Amino acid sequence: MITIDRLRFRYPGTPFSLDIPELHVATGERLAIVGPSGTGKTTLLKLIAGILAPAAGTIHVDGTRLETLGDADRRNFRIARIGFVFQELELLEYLTVLDNILHTYRINPVLRLDRRVRERARRLAQEVGLGDQIGRMPRELSQGERQRAAVCRALLTEPALILADEATGNLDPANKLRILELLFRATARRQTSLVAVTHDHELLPRFDRVVDFRGYHG
Amino acid sequence: MPSVIVRLALSVFLLTARGVQPARADLGTAPLRIVVSNYPLAYFAERIGGSRVQVTLPVPAGADPAFWKPDAKAVGLMQKADLIALNGAGFEKWLVHVSLPKLKQVDTAEGFHDRYIHIDNAVTHSHGPGGTHSHGGTAFTTWLDFEQAARQAETLAQAMMRKRPEFTASFSENLAALNADLKALDSDARRILGGRTDEPLLASHPVYQYLARRYGLKLESIHWEPDEMPAAAEWEALAKLLAGHPAKTMLWEAEPSAAIAARLKTLGVAAVAFEPAANRPESGDFLGVMKQNLERFGRIR
Amino acid sequence: MLNHDFYLAWRYLSFHKTRSAILIACLSLMAFLPLGLHALLDDGERQMSGRAAATPLLVGAKGSSVDLTLTALYFSEAAAPAITLAEADLVGASGWADPLPLYSRFRIKGQPLVGVTLDYFDYRRLAPARGELPALLGDCVLGHEAAAALGLEPGDSLATTPENLFDLAGVYPLKLHVTGVLAQSGSPDDQAVFVDLKTTWVIEGLGHGHDQQTPAARHQSLPFAQAAAQLQVDARLVTYTEITAANIDSFHFHGDPAGYPISAVIALPHDRRGATLLKGRYLADDGTTQIIEPAIVTHGLLHNIFRIGALFDGILVLVGATTLLALGLVFSLSLRLRRRELETIFLLGCSRATVFKLVVAELALLGLASAILSGALLLAVDHYGESWIRQFLLS
Repeated sequence: MITIDRLRFRYPGTPFSLDIPELHVATGERLAIVGPSGTGKTTLLKLIAGILAPAAGTIHVDGTRLETLGDADRRNFRIARIGFVFQELELLEYLTVLDNILHTYRINPVLRLDRRVRERARRLAQEVGLGDQIGRMPRELSQGERQRAAVCRALLTEPALILADEATGNLDPANKLRILELLFRATARRQTSLVAVTHDHELLPRFDRVVDFRGYHG
Repeated sequence: MPSVIVRLALSVFLLTARGVQPARADLGTAPLRIVVSNYPLAYFAERIGGSRVQVTLPVPAGADPAFWKPDAKAVGLMQKADLIALNGAGFEKWLVHVSLPKLKQVDTAEGFHDRYIHIDNAVTHSHGPGGTHSHGGTAFTTWLDFEQAARQAETLAQAMMRKRPEFTASFSENLAALNADLKALDSDARRILGGRTDEPLLASHPVYQYLARRYGLKLESIHWEPDEMPAAAEWEALAKLLAGHPAKTMLWEAEPSAAIAARLKTLGVAAVAFEPAANRPESGDFLGVMKQNLERFGRIR
Repeated sequence: MLNHDFYLAWRYLSFHKTRSAILIACLSLMAFLPLGLHALLDDGERQMSGRAAATPLLVGAKGSSVDLTLTALYFSEAAAPAITLAEADLVGASGWADPLPLYSRFRIKGQPLVGVTLDYFDYRRLAPARGELPALLGDCVLGHEAAAALGLEPGDSLATTPENLFDLAGVYPLKLHVTGVLAQSGSPDDQAVFVDLKTTWVIEGLGHGHDQQTPAARHQSLPFAQAAAQLQVDARLVTYTEITAANIDSFHFHGDPAGYPISAVIALPHDRRGATLLKGRYLADDGTTQIIEPAIVTHGLLHNIFRIGALFDGILVLVGATTLLALGLVFSLSLRLRRRELETIFLLGCSRATVFKLVVAELALLGLASAILSGALLLAVDHYGESWIRQFLLS
């Protein structure tokens, strides 16, 4: 699914740099990335998503060489193939739960919001236990319910790859497990790869592989 | 589709309705509506206007127009007229109590207002057909001076011509004919009445002032009604009056009762009716009534 | 996609109700104020010009021609000094014009009480929608809006009161009889309570009725006669507050009516020559009366109003520009506050162009709502503007 080769990245004007000789993620694999803050874990996810472009090296995602694509192509690739469950990607407060789940389809012209998609969204909400909440506003939900809705949003496009950044960060243990199980179940069903940045060490044994990110940055 | 047809039909209807609005009445062909306050003015208006006028005298038959008071309905009728012909000289005592358009009014006696006769010491009746009334103020039977009557007719005609200038020729012609008749009447009056200017005369009501002035009559007035036998004191007063003013003839607005006439005869006074014709006569017209008045007077010697 | 943009914009605006309402209110006012003000000024101009054009000449006391115009045409509370009925007689006697005297000194329950002759109604083309014109002394007919304000119909009564604190002794409280309600004319006549000129003189105390007269002095009171001898009246004299069929005959006036007060005379010249000759009569400086052409006076008044209007325009442009700048600042601050939202949607694949379209959609919806609100306000001005102008500008 993902092949990174001699990847180098630097934020302009800062001393920070990222240097990854190689990294592979297989199709359907669940990879956890751990390491102290500031080591570039989120930066790696953004490079994989095509949000950032490397200074050197190559990134292949699902057979596509990202660094050769222009901005628009990288964005379209991201819309079609990648789902995001980032801690800071909150639900939009002025949309209902259902509208939040559907939001990706409303803001991307390449995606078509039709009856099938709406039914899929309702089904996903039902699966994560939000079937009765789809009409509510985010402020009426608990933190765990909001994160479940974010997972539904990420899964709605049936992505080939899910990138999660501290998806369980501010949840209680029960909800952490619940979110992780949701992600694992969904990825198992469609052989979707999962790359998750996490600080929750108790969750690590559930992943297929753990990569320690110390040493990849400069 | 049906709503389009309905809308189309409605538009056609509305356009057609506008087009077939009844034509606004042509002022030039509609009769001139004149309301008058007494019969002489009605007569003048009818003579001058002919078929081009519609004259209304709102005073009920038998009532004295000088003491008639219009109610709101009668005032409303007058308001709707094209021309309101007033006698003037205080005849219309109700004028101050009603609302009438000033620009539609014509005071037919205004032209000789400097020759009104003012009554200083009038007496009030406590009886009479209309109850209490008085002849105080200004004498108002201006038309009994037939030269004044002609001037009133002239003033009225001019007002009518201002309202309907397209009929000036017709009105003028009719006025000339009326004036000729009034002039002849004036001549007759001067002939019949003028020969008796030294003769003391009596009048049952103070309504002959202008007649007396124009034709030189020595007339003293009292306040008697033709169908009401005066009290003894009034007969006594009459006798005293006759002592200083030995009249042999007494003018009455209408024939007095036989009893009154007989009693007057015992005093050597002959009663003769001289109708002022303030209201429409039962028969005849103004000219006819005045001619009859003069004839009756002429027969008394 | 367009419907998605508008859908998201609508959800955002309706979630932030207060903010949206304030923005809409600001934008609406910005659009409405200049247009509304001009609509009102146009209305005012039309009313004043129309009314003035329908009044060829006005004779009144020497002094402010504006006061005279406002008194005679708009029955304003700031009454011009009175003249006498003799001035109306002079106009009529000239043969050059027809006189319409009017007396608008009094007010009755906030409405102008205007004494006229019946010719006024013919000239102004005022006809009763219900009932009749006044017929007898003490009758009144109400303008369309006066009837609504006072809640009166034909057959009702309306009492005058001594409202003028400076003339308590001279005012004769009278119970008027409402005979009719005039059809709406869209002019200041709608506000007035009209009575016969003679009735205003009764209210003024120049005419009155009595209960009984002593027999010794009983003689018929002559209308407008020179009162050589006063009536001897009973000590138990009662001056009436209501003119009825029973007592109307007792009502009389003292003195020469030519000396009775009026506010002005509307002179209707027969032709241009007559108008010129009539105007020439008032050229002498030592006279106590003047003749004016209301159209000229109004034109001057409007000229001043338009200068104020131009000043308003300048102020409004500044205020508008300032408001736009403020709104722009509010919007850009609002976008800054939505940074997290923007990061989210960028991550979800939203392009800058789409973000721009979302913002444009919000602005479009705000603009549409403002247009609807300012349109509604303009409709209100269109509907009520005439009466507002009459009430606040012309009365």
